[in-house]
Amino acid sequence: MNNKKNIILEEYENEFLYKKSKTNLDIQFNRIAFIFFVFLMISVIYSIQLLHLGSLKSDVQTNYAPSIKDYRADIIDRNGNYLVKTVSSIDIGISPIEVIDKQKLLINLKWIFPEKDYVEVEKKLNKNKFFNFEKKISSTNYQKIMSLGDKSIRPEEQLTRIYPQKNLFSHIIGQIDDDNKGISGLEKSFNEKLKQTNEPLKLTVDTDIQFLIREELVKFQSIFRSKGSAAILMNVNNGEIISLVSYPDFDLNKREKIVDLNFINRATKGVYELGSVFKTFTVAAGLEEGLIDTDTEFLNLEKRLQCGKSSISEYDNKIPSDLTVEQILIRSGNVGSVRIGQKLEIIKLKNFLEKIGVLKKMKFDINEVGEPIPFRWGKCKLATVSYGHGITTTPLQLARAYAIISNGGFDIEPSLIKKDLKNYQQKKRIIKAGISEKINTILRKIVTTKEGTAGLANIEGYEVGGKTGTANKTSIGGYSKAKVNTFAGIFPISNPKYVLIVLFDEPKTSSEYIYEYKNKKGSYKGTPFNTAGWTSVEVAGKIIEKIGPILATKHIEN
Amino acid sequence: MKQLVLVVIFVLILITSLVKNSTKEIEDQIFVINENIRPLKSELEDVLLEFNYLSSPEKLVQYQTQYFEKDLIKIEIMNIKEIIENNETLEINDLIKKNSNE
Repeated sequence: MNNKKNIILEEYENEFLYKKSKTNLDIQFNRIAFIFFVFLMISVIYSIQLLHLGSLKSDVQTNYAPSIKDYRADIIDRNGNYLVKTVSSIDIGISPIEVIDKQKLLINLKWIFPEKDYVEVEKKLNKNKFFNFEKKISSTNYQKIMSLGDKSIRPEEQLTRIYPQKNLFSHIIGQIDDDNKGISGLEKSFNEKLKQTNEPLKLTVDTDIQFLIREELVKFQSIFRSKGSAAILMNVNNGEIISLVSYPDFDLNKREKIVDLNFINRATKGVYELGSVFKTFTVAAGLEEGLIDTDTEFLNLEKRLQCGKSSISEYDNKIPSDLTVEQILIRSGNVGSVRIGQKLEIIKLKNFLEKIGVLKKMKFDINEVGEPIPFRWGKCKLATVSYGHGITTTPLQLARAYAIISNGGFDIEPSLIKKDLKNYQQKKRIIKAGISEKINTILRKIVTTKEGTAGLANIEGYEVGGKTGTANKTSIGGYSKAKVNTFAGIFPISNPKYVLIVLFDEPKTSSEYIYEYKNKKGSYKGTPFNTAGWTSVEVAGKIIEKIGPILATKHIEN
Repeated sequence: MKQLVLVVIFVLILITSLVKNSTKEIEDQIFVINENIRPLKSELEDVLLEFNYLSSPEKLVQYQTQYFEKDLIKIEIMNIKEIIENNETLEINDLIKKNSNE
C-alpha cells in the first residue's frame, strides 16, 4: 500500500526550461529591436522633413535675386554709381471675356490712370480680345489695380535694362538684342558672366570724369567740325581706364540699330596713322639700345629726303640743321627721327615697337578692338615708321605704349574691370630703368618751351608733358587732305599717374575760336594751322583743367 | 551590453533630433528676416538708381544753370590747400607744390 509512484520530471523540466529560456531571450531582443526600429523610422522621417526644410531655405536664397531667366547683372562705376540696372516692371493686360461689369471697370481704371484715352480702351474691351492696357506701371498703381480684385486684369512681370547715364558709356557698355544677348561692348564680352552672377560688375571708369571729358569733345567737335573724336584717360601704373570716350555716341535706352560706321568706337576699334606721336618711341628705342643719348647731336640734317618715290620733308622749314636728340623730339623733326631710326635699324625698332604693343592686335575687355595694318619692313618703311607714318595702331594701344614709356618701363594691361589690389600682377619691367626719366623730361619741354608743339596744354599745377601727332589720312593711292590730330599727354610728369590721349578725326580750322596762350600772355583768334598743336592739345588742356581738381583731390587709387 | 549600445544610439538620435528641432526655429527666423530684407534691398537699389540719375553730372549741370549759376564757382587747383595733422599742430600746405625750376 505504501507503494508510491515517484515521477521524475527533472529531465523534462530541464528541457522545458531551456526552451522557455531560449524563447524568452528571442522575444526580449525582438522587442528592443522593434522599438529601436520604430524610433529609427521616426528619426528618419523627421530628418527627411528637416532636410526638406533646409532645401526649402536654400531655394529661397537662390530666388533672392530675380528668378526670371532674362536677368542680367548690373554694371557700376568705380564709385558704385549705376551705369546699367536691371529693373523689374509690371505690364497690365486685360482679358475682356472675363470682365463682369465693363462700366464699373472703366470707372475704376479712370480713377487709377486718369490720363488714358478711355474711348480707345472701351473699343478694345468690346472687341473681346486680350490687350495690353498699360506698360511699366508704378508699384502704387499696381497695388491699386490689384485691389480692384477683377479677374480680367492680368499683371505680367517684365525685366527692363536701363541706362541712367544715357550716351555716356555707350561704347564701353554696348547693346543687347531682343533675345537678351549682348551684341557689343561689355554686354557682349561679359555676356555669360552677367547672366550667371547677381553681383554687379564693377568698372574702373569714373562717371564724373567721363562726363567732363565727353562734354569737351562734344563742344570742340562743333568748333573743329570733325568727323569724330576720342579720348582715353588711363592710370599709367596699373592700366585702369578712368575714362574712354568715343564721339559720336548713342543713347543705349533707345535700343537703336547702329549701322553708320561713323559710330564705331574710335578709341579702341579705330586704326589710324598717328604721325609724330611715334617719334617718342623711336627716341626711346634709341635710348634703350644705348645708341643715342638725349644730348647726342645730329649734324647737317637735310630739309628733304628722298626714299623711293616718296619724299620726306620737315613740316617746319625753320628747323635748324644741327639738332640734339632732345631738340629733334621737342621740335618734332622728321629728318632727325629718320636718322635715329636708321641708327637703330629695322630689327631693333621693330622689336621695341612689338614690346610696347603697338604692332599687333591687343587683348581687351571688349571685343571691339582694331588690328594695326600689317606691313613689310624695308629701308623706306624704317624711315617713315621712325616719324610715325606708314604705321597704324589704335588710340588704346598708343595710351598703353605711352604709359609703359612714362611709368619706368613697366608693362601694364589696359583694363575696364575693377580688380582687387591683390589681383594686380606684379609689375614686369620691359624697358630699362632710367629711360622714362629722360623721355618724360623731353615730353615736359614739348609743353613748356616755345619751340615745343604742345604749349596750349601747359595748365598750371598739373605738370603736363606730351607729344603731338598730325597725320594725313590715307586714301586710294596715297594720302588725302583730311587729318588725324592726336595728343598723347602724361601728367604729373615728375611722378606720372595718368596718360591722356585726345584724337580728332578729320578736324577743320575754326575762324572764330579764341585761344588763350599758356606760355605767354595774350590770346589768338582763329585756328592758324590744322595741326594737333592747335586742336587736340587745346582740348587736352581744357580737359585737364576740368578733371584735374577731381583727380588731385577726390580720386583715390584703389 | 548590446542593450546599452542600443540605448546610447537611441539617446544620441533623440538628442540630434532635439538639436535639429531647435535649429529649425532659428532657420525659420533667418528665413523670415531674409524675406523682410528682400523688399528693403530692392527698395534701396531703386532709391540708389534714382539718386544716381538725379545726381548724375548731366543733371547737376542742368541744376547749375537753372538754380545755382552764381553760387557754384570754379576753384583753381593752385588755391586748394591741404591740412596736415602733425601731433597737436595743424599744418596748412598747398595741395600742388609749384615747381620753381620751370
